[in-house]
Amino acid sequence: MPAIRLGALPPRLRKLVEDVRRKEDRLSLLLSLVIGALVSLVVIAFILLTGRLAGLMYPAGGSGWGRILVPTVGSLITGYLLFKYFPLARGSGIPQTRAALFMHDGRISLRSVVGKLVCSTISLGSGIPLGREGPAVYIGSGLASVIARRLGLSRMQIRSFVPVGGAAAFAAAFNTPIAAVLFSLEAIVGDLHAPVLGSIVLASATSWIVLHLVLGANPLFHVPDFHLVGARELGVYVVLGIVGGLSSVAFVKVLLWLRARFARLPDASLWIQPVAGGLTVGLFGYFAPQVLGIGYDHVERVLNGDVILKVVIALAVLKIIATSVAYASGNAGGVVGPTLFIGSMVGASVGAAAHLLFPASTAGPGAYALVGMGTAFAGVTRMPLTSVIMIFEVSRDYTIIVPLVIANLIAFYISRKLQKEPIYEALAQQDGLRLPTRISGAPPEMLRVSSATRDAPGSLAPDTMISEAAERVRDSVFESWPVADDLGLLGMVRTRHIAAAMDQGRGEMTIARLMQIARRSAGTRAVDLPHVHNDQPLSRALARMRDNGHNVLPVVSRANARIMLAVVTFADILKAYGVESADQLDYRDHPDL
Amino acid sequence: MKTPIVQPAPPPAASVSEFIATFAVILAVIAALLLFDTALARVDLRTRKAFAAREFRTGEQLLAEGKADQAIEHLRNASTLDGESSGYGIALAQGVLADGQPGAAEQMLLPLLERDPSDGAANLAMARVLAKEGRNDEAKSYYHRAIYGSWPSAAPESRSAARFELIDLLARTNAKQELLAELLPIQEDSTNDVAQRKRIAHLFVVAGSPSRAVAIYRDLLDRDPRDADSYVGLAEAALSLGDFATARMDLVAAQKLTPQDSASLQARVILTDSVIALDPTQRGLSIGEQARRTRNLVQMTLASVRSCLRVQAPEVAAGLDSASALLREGQGQSIEQSLLLAEHLWGLRRTRCTDAREDGALALIQNRIAQ
Repeated sequence: MPAIRLGALPPRLRKLVEDVRRKEDRLSLLLSLVIGALVSLVVIAFILLTGRLAGLMYPAGGSGWGRILVPTVGSLITGYLLFKYFPLARGSGIPQTRAALFMHDGRISLRSVVGKLVCSTISLGSGIPLGREGPAVYIGSGLASVIARRLGLSRMQIRSFVPVGGAAAFAAAFNTPIAAVLFSLEAIVGDLHAPVLGSIVLASATSWIVLHLVLGANPLFHVPDFHLVGARELGVYVVLGIVGGLSSVAFVKVLLWLRARFARLPDASLWIQPVAGGLTVGLFGYFAPQVLGIGYDHVERVLNGDVILKVVIALAVLKIIATSVAYASGNAGGVVGPTLFIGSMVGASVGAAAHLLFPASTAGPGAYALVGMGTAFAGVTRMPLTSVIMIFEVSRDYTIIVPLVIANLIAFYISRKLQKEPIYEALAQQDGLRLPTRISGAPPEMLRVSSATRDAPGSLAPDTMISEAAERVRDSVFESWPVADDLGLLGMVRTRHIAAAMDQGRGEMTIARLMQIARRSAGTRAVDLPHVHNDQPLSRALARMRDNGHNVLPVVSRANARIMLAVVTFADILKAYGVESADQLDYRDHPDL
Repeated sequence: MKTPIVQPAPPPAASVSEFIATFAVILAVIAALLLFDTALARVDLRTRKAFAAREFRTGEQLLAEGKADQAIEHLRNASTLDGESSGYGIALAQGVLADGQPGAAEQMLLPLLERDPSDGAANLAMARVLAKEGRNDEAKSYYHRAIYGSWPSAAPESRSAARFELIDLLARTNAKQELLAELLPIQEDSTNDVAQRKRIAHLFVVAGSPSRAVAIYRDLLDRDPRDADSYVGLAEAALSLGDFATARMDLVAAQKLTPQDSASLQARVILTDSVIALDPTQRGLSIGEQARRTRNLVQMTLASVRSCLRVQAPEVAAGLDSASALLREGQGQSIEQSLLLAEHLWGLRRTRCTDAREDGALALIQNRIAQ
């Protein structure tokens, strides 16, 4: 990289650069914008190239033999590239992103990013029925990781930018900026309360703006307005939730089962395995061209009511098998796209059947196809919130929310009952990776301050003489004592400071004066009234103790911080965590100590 | 009171120059990608639109050849490839309608109308669908929306075409008042379009306002006295007005101008002659002749009613027999009473006979009497 002579820069610019470089919040802001824009442009190029390649390789009305040949040859090429040069570019990209985040401090190499881009473009362009969202997320996360490393950011910061890139990629790939934020938090970080939320939102919004600048305001799907004919129709959405949930489970189980079978094959066959997927897809494509590729064109047709019951049922089944074989055999591509395709076909099937039976009281099948996409997404990825927001963003119609939530939750519940792990976690486990799950990531029962409190000792008045105070705290187990006046708590004073004052012959000095001196000597780190609340996690109490140096903290009312309810000590916190502190050990049981 | 929970991150390890250089490279890549993506997007859009247009043309051609089932697939491709173009969606719906699936066509048009309720072409297509389904009142409403809706190009012509479709529907359903209401606003719109004026004049006759038709035809003849069609139109209007003698004169005039159409015009002249010969209301007839013609008219009407109701309503036959008896006995009844009887019988025929065919001469005379 060419060196830049700083002397040549105007002083103002130089100061600005220094400011941005040194101040974390400004750097985060700038990087979020840059990553959002860059990732969006890369993903747009990926989408357009994939689409153009697909149009050239298997055009509408092309020969049947061509539809067999193209995916077969495409999978052969990608199989070789994946085996020889880019082993990390295999599959979806979401589990790989999570692995990079949790196992390699967010490190994703530029080589694997390029590999993912090349292999996924060839794979999807040759008609392999996998999705572009997973690879896009990997590419986005990888670019964020590369940039962060180039700038020499800390490991923590590199990690924090990985989901930022992922969100930007999803927003560009699916044109749903809010769902992209949730997807990144749920699928990549596994925590909706992650501290990188601000950066993720910013990158996602930037990515979406760039997408609209380049491609215009066209939505991913042109969807007609959603209509709920009547409250009775919600019953059909319940049925859709059940069918959607069962279909999701079937899809995940078939895919995982096939993947486990392929994993047993010798490693030397890894380069040829994807051909099994390509050939299967080609044979299906010979009879049903709609199976080829991501299939969003056909999804749009179905969403607009172009539904023949037998055809949509057949397409749902064929797509489940084709996608499972293609993914399990090691082709590059994700499962989000196929999941939405399958969901729309299942939804259209249920909707068409319902409309045949109750034409007056049900909407057309297009509406059910839209909700069906959500049920499949919720069932397969187990992200019901992302699913609801995503479909809402696609439809831009508030009236869809209630049927969508009902169907999604039913599908989610059925999927959770019948399939132990969500797809991305199951895929990681098949690869021998034990990544934190959204369930394991959150403590089942968070220990709170209230579980470790004890009654507060009698407080010292601020005008108490040091000599008197020393007498009161002499045999106490507390290392800090509360100081309070008539209006309530004023602060904490350390017993060792009282003892030191006594040793220096300052017995006539008041506690208030001692607190002033202690605060001044502590400098900027001193907090006037260190405290915790009953409902806060114990980890917060530990952090407060670390920051203030007190191993006793007052537990105060949320209504008035000067009302002390109890105290919490370091020893009590350890005990609450199940750790005995040294002073609680019975040394008679441990003679070696 | 704010307690820092997380330690601030250290500044980046990259030097300032590396920092700036990295950002410079990223910005350069962004600029290059922006150009690349924009160009690619334009090419992609152009390709899609071109392909959609090709599919649309193929679909339209197949539709014109009556191969609606094959046309649908191409029109569907066009509509999917270029979803922004409502024209493709409308063409698809019309293809589906031509394939005999009005319900499906309606479902396809609904989203287009939701997107733009004032889309003239979509409203017109929906009107056609509803007219095909026999939902004439709804169809009329959509025709009106098409007439007053927005048209991206050739708006006056498109609106006029939509209005004429509505007029045809109204003429087919014999909604004379509504037909007249639609004709009046366009009466003056097409001053220079002779064919359209003739069409309007003919529709005025259908709408029961032949005098307006006469005015138009007269105006056309003032401009071109050798216009045989206008003479034929005048004859039609005159027949409708009950002015049979004038009608005959006009037909003879047309015959002279177009000897090649002489046969068809001669048939009309013969019909008019028979009407004139039968008309009991003709001026200058003696009382005896009037009575004879009236009696003849009643008998013809009775025969027409009998032939039409014989199978369809045998229970009416007894009533007709008694009417015949009354006719035989009523040699001395007045001409007015006989005409009234003929009018009643004709009314019976019109209301009870599902056979819409009317006896030409008899119908014209009955029409004259009704006036």
